[in-house]
Amino acid sequence: MSIEKRMLARELKLIAARPGDIFKPMWFLMLVISMVPLALAPDSDLLAEIGSAMIWVATLLALLLNTEHLFQSDFSDGVLEQWLFLDRPLAWLVGLKLIAHWLFHVLPLILITPIAGLMLSVSTEVLFALLATLFVATPALTCFSGLGAALTLGSSRSGILGVLVMMPLFVPVVILAAGVLIRATDGSDTLPLMALLGAFSVVAATLVPIAVSAAIRLNIGGSN
Amino acid sequence: MGWRWFHQWGSPRWFYERAGRWQLVCGWLALILLVAGSLWGLGFAPVDYQQGNSYRIIYLHVPVAFLAQAMYAAMALCAVVLFVWKMKLADVAMQSIAVMGFAFTVLSLVSGAVWGKPTWGTYWVWDARLTSMLILAFLYLGAIGLRAAIQDPDQAGKACGILVLVGVVNLPIIKYSVEWWNTLHQPASLKLTEKPAMPASMWVPLLVNILGYYIAAAYLVLGSMRAIVLERERRATWVKELIGRA
Amino acid sequence: MIFEPAQIEISELGCERDDRLLFENLSMTLESGQILRVAGPNGAGKTTLLRTIAGLFEIQEGEIRVNRLPLKECLDQVLYIGHKPQVTRDLTVLDNLKFLTGADEARLKSALGDVGLKGYHDSLVKELSQGQGRRCALARLWCVEAPIWILDEPYTALDVEMVETLDAQITSHVNAGGICLFTTHQPPQQLDYQTLELGHVD
Repeated sequence: MSIEKRMLARELKLIAARPGDIFKPMWFLMLVISMVPLALAPDSDLLAEIGSAMIWVATLLALLLNTEHLFQSDFSDGVLEQWLFLDRPLAWLVGLKLIAHWLFHVLPLILITPIAGLMLSVSTEVLFALLATLFVATPALTCFSGLGAALTLGSSRSGILGVLVMMPLFVPVVILAAGVLIRATDGSDTLPLMALLGAFSVVAATLVPIAVSAAIRLNIGGSN
Repeated sequence: MGWRWFHQWGSPRWFYERAGRWQLVCGWLALILLVAGSLWGLGFAPVDYQQGNSYRIIYLHVPVAFLAQAMYAAMALCAVVLFVWKMKLADVAMQSIAVMGFAFTVLSLVSGAVWGKPTWGTYWVWDARLTSMLILAFLYLGAIGLRAAIQDPDQAGKACGILVLVGVVNLPIIKYSVEWWNTLHQPASLKLTEKPAMPASMWVPLLVNILGYYIAAAYLVLGSMRAIVLERERRATWVKELIGRA
Repeated sequence: MIFEPAQIEISELGCERDDRLLFENLSMTLESGQILRVAGPNGAGKTTLLRTIAGLFEIQEGEIRVNRLPLKECLDQVLYIGHKPQVTRDLTVLDNLKFLTGADEARLKSALGDVGLKGYHDSLVKELSQGQGRRCALARLWCVEAPIWILDEPYTALDVEMVETLDAQITSHVNAGGICLFTTHQPPQQLDYQTLELGHVD
């Protein structure tokens, strides 16, 4: 079996062993969404207006929560250092791990956002735009939060530091996605913004794994 | 290649002693420029016909805001030096600049807010420049927090280096996206209108102050770098002798 | 199987951690058939030395060459087993080895038989005892073909019988032209090894 297949097979088996890892972020997302009308008002016009933005932010938080410990258990078990002996560049393996993480942990999160949209009375057109932005933007977000996770690997008292460190870098993505949602609400053309968002995601997905692998190597080099 | 002090720039003792002299020069130069620039700007520059005297905060706000941004770039430069030449001093500089840069960013936010009250009638608006500055403050905090969380100084330095390099690549993207976001959401009326060309009697003192603040920043960074060098080299004989003498 | 003649050349290796000099000017050459035990008190830098030779730590000073090539280009010839578990608790014994070694199932099963984990193929590692978990990690020695073995505390948590099995495997590995470096606090009886004492640098 090639190393790539072995990585994917391992991810699938890990999910089968810890199904809670998938459900907890979804659970979190739905809880946050349920809090919005409680904190605001059960007024469906008001909710529809802010609904898509709320869902975006909640998904972002759920994703962060989910990715924070991406490499932690493999690192402390000493399995991560074995990646260095696999006959592939570390950045490539990191990329595979991030892809698998996106497929198995982020995608389910995106797929339940329509339910959240219905709960907040988001209109169908905006809902489609919301789904599209999440699809296109989450690869970049996953990469960045993976970097946060890798940078803080060696520090036992980092807490949510990885999240804090990476969140400012989400700004362009959030702004572009919000732009798409606003245009979708107006009914104007969203394609140029989607293209920008996609470009950002593609560039991030190509370059960030290199930084992640440097961070992992650094932390392996500092541990006993 | 290992972690070695690089050439004479790499010798902590050489740096400590030289930097002490540079610091003295910078300190006096900054003091003269800042006293001159501030007195001129606050006391003698003409009153702005639109904003009255409240505009005079630019003699603090503008230099500090320039510095806040320039220092992030300087930090990224240090990160490059750290990774390419493995120079420990670059890491020391990065550590100092992160703290100073954060301080200048906060100062520029606060002075901006104080200026905002008479100009916009409120301390905070989600203006593009204020927002970018806020994000910049968070980026600085990240660099400081990451270093604080990792025990080994070499490792902490390298982790910060990675973060700062990723940050500096993103910084222009963040800046442009925030500017675009601002035009998307806010009517142009809240933005400061294109300022008419300032008369020389206004901008010359500003220039003097900008120079003064830059040199003052160099003074502060050098001072903090010297302190960090002493702390990191605390087990070296020359540091023990130095402390023994004091 | 017989390995091509292998050689590890360490020249003037030096390492400092947390302002403490662990070793310096360490030079030696290891050839096929050699077993080296790195000894020394706690904190002497045994793990650091092994991890440096395994390529996990950046070399601070000096040089390591494997078959005259820089170490970084030869990591595929190294089998490193550290003192961390090296296995994932939530996966089965077989799945762990499949991922780490890429060997086929028949070979893995025979390796597991050799380390006394026959019948545990589908047990999760977290269900095993500590010694059994260690056996699972060590099973890689029976199914990976790398000439250079670097084993950090391989004897920890093993019973007498497994210690003997491991010694026999190390012996047959070096007889086939391999090289083995290891650390341990209980000197093994059955092995014919040289010792490198660390911890004498001030």
